[in-house]
Amino acid sequence: MTDAHFGERAALYALGALDATESAALEAHLRVCAECAKLVGEAERDVDTIASLETRRRAPEALTNRVERLLAPARQPQAPWRFAAVAAAFLIGILPSAYLWERNRVMQDAMLSQSAAMDRLATTAHRTASFRPAGGALAADVMYPSDGSWYVIVVRGASHALHVAWMHDGAQTMLGDVVPHGRVAMLYLPKSHRMEQLALMDGPRVVAQAQLPY
Amino acid sequence: MARASGDEEALAVAFAAHERWAFARAYREYASLLYSVAYNVLSNSEEAQDCVADAIARLWRSPSAYSSGRGSLRSFLVVCVRNEAISRRRRQSRRLRLEERLAAMPVEHQELEVADPIERDRVRRAFAKLPDDQRAAVALAFYEGKTHTEIASELNAPLGTIKSRISHGLRKIAASLGSEGGER
Repeated sequence: MTDAHFGERAALYALGALDATESAALEAHLRVCAECAKLVGEAERDVDTIASLETRRRAPEALTNRVERLLAPARQPQAPWRFAAVAAAFLIGILPSAYLWERNRVMQDAMLSQSAAMDRLATTAHRTASFRPAGGALAADVMYPSDGSWYVIVVRGASHALHVAWMHDGAQTMLGDVVPHGRVAMLYLPKSHRMEQLALMDGPRVVAQAQLPY
Repeated sequence: MARASGDEEALAVAFAAHERWAFARAYREYASLLYSVAYNVLSNSEEAQDCVADAIARLWRSPSAYSSGRGSLRSFLVVCVRNEAISRRRRQSRRLRLEERLAAMPVEHQELEVADPIERDRVRRAFAKLPDDQRAAVALAFYEGKTHTEIASELNAPLGTIKSRISHGLRKIAASLGSEGGER
């Protein structure tokens, strides 16, 4: 299908501008034509670039549960007498394992974010600004480069997650949460602009603020 | 545009091989992005959740839908979910006006993860740099979910011309956003 106009059809597909029949035909073709798949992949990147800059929302817990059920292995029918054995095994082994698996997943996500942050800190010149706490034993810093392309917020002494907000023009824009793993909480924020004032919030209450000079 | 990391490449290869863990991991990695993409088309939380779940289910039932030679797994998933959302919106015949989408501000504050006015302004500026005819064609496709046939009719231009305008316009917007050096 690689004719002179396929590039244009690739853009139409990636933008959702083909009708259902055309899309289905194209998807079938992409399964067997690597050349066309690459063209569509490039157009998909362009659409992703625009779509990623639209307002972001947190995926609801219900959706995550639904997708996890969808992707869970199919269950085999069990004989009734096995129920007691399965329940016993669950209590003895699987329940702690599930807890550890979930904890491991959260830790893994945190480590990936931490790894990105460490890479930035190690390879890019940056400044450090300290948060001024409104009270309590909280200690926190923010590291950032002069072009404002990323921010690493490190909080020590927090007993639970805190929100990070960008304070600007009399408004607060929520940027994410710093979640403690052990004694330290860290949040890595890729950005594309300078932010001159950040706040740590416990619910609606500002618990610390930082001024970021450039 | 950031280059895929080793982790992303490994995930993409496993996803293409229809590994169950890769589907679960890809969902976890991009859950908020995919939900946001669906929500931004459908403007309704329940419909957006149905859309994401259905798109993932459809991919799980279609083992060869993605190949790593196609490029970014993340972009592939974004477009799959977005196209599913657009199809749903077409079926429901619920269209949002372009002006409303461009000016829309977040209303469900408790759901917000990121609502960055500067990022939104970057998109507006990238659209504003396009010639009028390309801007209209891309905006009708991206924000109103119209087909190229509908756009040709609405703009009173030949189908081939509309295809070219959309293709060139999309490339220019992506290049403009990429050249400003932002990260995703």
